[in-house]
Amino acid sequence: QDQTPIALEDGWRDMEAGIARLKRILHGVDGTSFTSQEYINLYTMIFNMCTQKPPYDYSEQLYKRYKQALEEYIKSTVLPSLKSKHGEFLLRELVERWKNHKVMVRWLTRFFHYLDRYYVSRKLLLPLKELGLSCFHDLVFGGLKTTLTTIVIDMVDNEREGQLIDRALLKDVVGIYLEIGQGSVGLYELDFEKAFCKGTTDYYSKKAQIWMLEDSCPEYMLKVEDSLQKEKERVGHYLHASTEEKLLEGTILELISWRAEEILYKENSGCRVLLLDGKYEDLSRMYRLFSKIDAGLFHVSKIFKEHVKEEGMSLLKHAADAANGTKNEKKEAVGSPEQEFVRKAIELHDKQLAYVTNCFQNNSAFHKALKAAFEDFCNKDVAGCTSAESLASFCDSILRKGGSEKLSDEVVEDTFDKVVTILSYISDKDLFVEFHRKKLGKRLLFDKSANNEHERSLLSKLKQYFGGQFTAKMEGMLNDVSTARDHQTAFEEYMRDKLPNHRVDFSVTVLTTGFWPSYKTSNINLPSEMIKCVEIFKDYYNSKQKSKRLTWIYSMGNCNIVAKFDAKPIELIVTTYQAAMLLLFNGSERLSYSEIVTQLNLPDDDAVRLLHSLSCAKYKILNKVPSNRIISPNDVFQVNHKFIDKMRRIKVPLPPTDEKKKVVEDVNKDRRFSIDASIVRIMKSRKVMGHQQLVAECVEQLSRMFKPDIKIIKRRIEDLISREYLERDLETANTYRYLA
Amino acid sequence: QHKLGRGSRDKVQQFMAITGASEKVALQALKASDWHLEGSFDYFYSQPQISVTNSRHLEDLYSRYKERDADMIMVEGTSQLCNDLLVDPQDVVMLVISWHMKAATMCEFTRQEFIDGLQSIGVDSIEKLREKLPSLRAEIKDDNKFREIYNFAFAWAREKGQKSLPLETAIGMWRLLFAERHWPLIDHWCQFLQVRHNKAISRDTWSQLLEFVKTIDPQLSNYDEEGAWPYLIDEFVEYLTENGCVQRNK
Repeated sequence: QDQTPIALEDGWRDMEAGIARLKRILHGVDGTSFTSQEYINLYTMIFNMCTQKPPYDYSEQLYKRYKQALEEYIKSTVLPSLKSKHGEFLLRELVERWKNHKVMVRWLTRFFHYLDRYYVSRKLLLPLKELGLSCFHDLVFGGLKTTLTTIVIDMVDNEREGQLIDRALLKDVVGIYLEIGQGSVGLYELDFEKAFCKGTTDYYSKKAQIWMLEDSCPEYMLKVEDSLQKEKERVGHYLHASTEEKLLEGTILELISWRAEEILYKENSGCRVLLLDGKYEDLSRMYRLFSKIDAGLFHVSKIFKEHVKEEGMSLLKHAADAANGTKNEKKEAVGSPEQEFVRKAIELHDKQLAYVTNCFQNNSAFHKALKAAFEDFCNKDVAGCTSAESLASFCDSILRKGGSEKLSDEVVEDTFDKVVTILSYISDKDLFVEFHRKKLGKRLLFDKSANNEHERSLLSKLKQYFGGQFTAKMEGMLNDVSTARDHQTAFEEYMRDKLPNHRVDFSVTVLTTGFWPSYKTSNINLPSEMIKCVEIFKDYYNSKQKSKRLTWIYSMGNCNIVAKFDAKPIELIVTTYQAAMLLLFNGSERLSYSEIVTQLNLPDDDAVRLLHSLSCAKYKILNKVPSNRIISPNDVFQVNHKFIDKMRRIKVPLPPTDEKKKVVEDVNKDRRFSIDASIVRIMKSRKVMGHQQLVAECVEQLSRMFKPDIKIIKRRIEDLISREYLERDLETANTYRYLA
Repeated sequence: QHKLGRGSRDKVQQFMAITGASEKVALQALKASDWHLEGSFDYFYSQPQISVTNSRHLEDLYSRYKERDADMIMVEGTSQLCNDLLVDPQDVVMLVISWHMKAATMCEFTRQEFIDGLQSIGVDSIEKLREKLPSLRAEIKDDNKFREIYNFAFAWAREKGQKSLPLETAIGMWRLLFAERHWPLIDHWCQFLQVRHNKAISRDTWSQLLEFVKTIDPQLSNYDEEGAWPYLIDEFVEYLTENGCVQRNK
C-alpha cells in the first residue's frame, strides 16, 4: 500500500524467472509444478505493477511484454523445431508444441490475470488467452497450414487404400484447426475442410474411373456403398461432425451423380439386366444409392417402366406367334393364346410388384411406373383379340366346368383379385363387362358354370373396385338362375298334375329382360312334344305372375335326346334347334334341305350351321347326299342308322356364331348414349362451357368405364346441337350454351 | 295491335289516297307527326328512303304471278318472274330478293312475303325492280348482309319438313354464294364432300363453314383441330393435308 512502487525491470525480472521455470516444466526438465505460493507471488507482482499510481502503472508495458514473451519463445524454440520436420513427424511435433503452448498460455494468463480484469476491457484489447493463441496462429500456424492439410490428405488417402494410420494424431491435428478458430468453425472450414473435401473428390474421381472400367454394375455399387460408409466413419474418427454432409455430398457426386448413366446402363450388368435376372439385393442397393441424388430415382423408375413395358410387349408377341402357329412356341400353354397371355400378364405383374415392394420401398414413382407400363401394353390387342375380351375369356376358362375344380378356393380368390388388377389397367372396361356378361349367359344357360360361389365372388370384387353399375345386370342374371331352380320343383309338380302321361323332363329358366344379353331367336316350328311343354309352362307361369309377358328363346335351349341307332341307343346332348331338326326324321326317313327349312321355318344361315353340325362334323348323326362338307340347298339328308360310338352319351356341339362384332357394336352404341348423357349432364349444371373444357370433363367422367374417342365426343356434341340440347354461343368462339 | 279510332282511320285512308303509299307507311308517317295530316305529308316527303310504292300496283303484280288456284306464287310464277326480270333463275340476285322477302322456301312466295318484300326493297313494278337488280346483287359484297343472306339460305333451300340440306343443293348454294366472295378452297370443299361425305348437311355445319371461311387462312395455319369445329370441317382439313393441298406445321 504505502510501499515504494516497484520498478518495471525489477518486477519483470521476477516474472521472467517464473516464465523460465514454466519453460523448464514444459520441457520436462523441472518436474514440479508451481506451488500456490509461487503462483500467488507472480499474480501479486502483476497486480501491484498494475495498480501502482502513474507513472508506475505498467499495464501497457506488461501487456506488451506478455505477448513478447510468447513470441520470443515461439521464435526461439518452437519454429526451429518444426522447421526440421516433415510429414507425420511434423504433425507430431506440431501437436506437441501446441499442447505446450496451450499450457504456457494457461499459466501466463493466470499470472497476468489482473490485466484481463481492467486494462483489457478498458482499452478494448484482445483478452490474454486469445492474444496468446493468436500468437501461435500468426507465427506458427499461418505459414504451416497448407503443408499440414496436404500431409493430412495424404495420410487419409493412404487409409483409404487400406493402410493403417495414426487416427489419434489426425484427430489432434484437426483439433488444432478447431481450437485455433477459438470457438468458431470458420478457420477449420476455410483452412482445412475445403481442401480436404476437394482431396476426397479427387480421390473418388480417380477411383470411379477405374472401377467403371473394371467392375460390373453390382460390384461398382457395392464399392460405392462401402466407400460412403467408410467416409461416414472417418468423420467420426477424426473430423468435425459438420464435415459429414459436405464430405458425403462430394463423394456421392463423384461416384453416383457423374456416373449415373454409366452405372444404370452398364452393358450386361446394368439396371435392366438386374431386373431380368431378379437381383433383389443389387436392385435394393441401387435404390438406396440413387435415392441420394436429384432425379436419381426418376431415372431408375424410367428403366423399370421400360423393362415392364418390354416384358409385356414380348408376352403379346408370344401370343401372336402362338395364334399364328409359328414354330418355337412350347406347347405347355393351356388354353387359347389370349388366356395364356392373361395368365402370364398376371405372373408378370406379381413379379414386378415384388420388385416395387422389396427393392424400391414401395416408392410411389415406381408404383406409377408399373401402372403406366401395364396401361401401355394391356390396351393393345392380344393375337387379334381385344385385351378386354381376352380377360373375359380367361375368367370364363376359370369359371366354366373343367376350368378350376383342381384349384383351391384361395387360389381362385387370389386369381380373381389379380383379374381385377389387370382390369384396372384396361381402358375399355365396359367392353370387358359386356364380354363377361355374354359368356356368363352362356355358362348359365348351358349349365357350364362350375361354381356359383366363384361367380358371385368375382362379381363382388368387380363391384367393390368399379362400382355397382358394373355388376348389377350380372347379379340379376345369377338371381334369375337361382330363382328358376327354386321354382323348378313347384313347376314339375304342376306338370305331373296336369299332364300325368307326359314323359318329357322339362325345365325353364325365366330371364329378366335387361339383365341378360339380347339373344337372337327365330320362330322355329317346334315338335309337338316340345310345344306341349311350352304350353304347360305358360299356364303355370300365368297362374303365378299374371302381369308378365314371356318371350321364348329356343335358340339358347338345350336338349337330351335318345337316338336308337342300329348298334345301340345313344343319348345325344344337343341344342333345342338341333333336337327339333333331328325329331323331323321321326316322321320322314329322308328330307331335303328345302323341306327341312320349310318344316322348321328356319333362316338359311341357321339351317346351314345346324345341318353341318349334324352331318359334316365330328359325329355324323345324319348322312348327307352328296357327302361333301358344304351344305347346299340341293342336299338331301337321312338318318345315319349305322352310327356308333363307344360312349353311351355324347355331346354334339354346335359351333357358336362369332359374336365379337355384335358385342363391340353394342358397346359402341351404349357409349354414344353415355357420352350424350355425360355432355348433357355437364352442360345442364354449368350452363355455359368452353369446348376444350367440356371435352376434358366428359372424358374424366367416363374414364371409369372407357376412354372415349375425342372425335366421337365432337360428333355427339354436334348431334346434340342439332337436337337442340345445346347451341353455340354467338359471342364467344368455341363455347356452348345449354338450352333448357 | 292497337285499334285505330274512326278519325285516325280516315286519315290513314286519305294519306294513302294522296301519296299512293302503303298502309304501313301511312301509319308510320301519321304516328311520326302525331296524327296531323299536314305534318305527316312533310314527314313523308322528307324521308328519302321511304320509296313510293303503290300497294295497288303490288297487288296487281302479285296476281300476275300467283297460282291460279292457290294464294301462293310457286315454281311457274317464279320462273315467269325471272323471265320478266331478264335474269337466270340460278342468279344469286333471286336469293337476295328472297331474303328481302323472308321467303320460307325456295321458289315459293306467299302474298305477304312477296308484297312486304318488294315494299322493303322499295319497288312496285317490274321495271323498278329490274333497275334495282345491280344494287341488290351488290348486297352480297357487304359483309354483314352476306352473313344474313348466307344463313338465310340454309332454311330457304331446304325441303319442307327436313332438318338438313341435301348435299347437291348445298353444293349448289355454296358455289352460288362464294362465286362473288372468292373463297379459294371452294372447289376442294365441294370435291371433298362428294368424295368423302355423301350425306346431307346440318345447319351447324352450314353456319360454321362461314366462320371457317372468314377466319381461317387458305394455308390453314391458324386452324385448331382441338377447337369446336364440326367434325366435317376437321375431316376437310385432314383431307387437304393428306392431298398436299396445304402445308400445315403440326
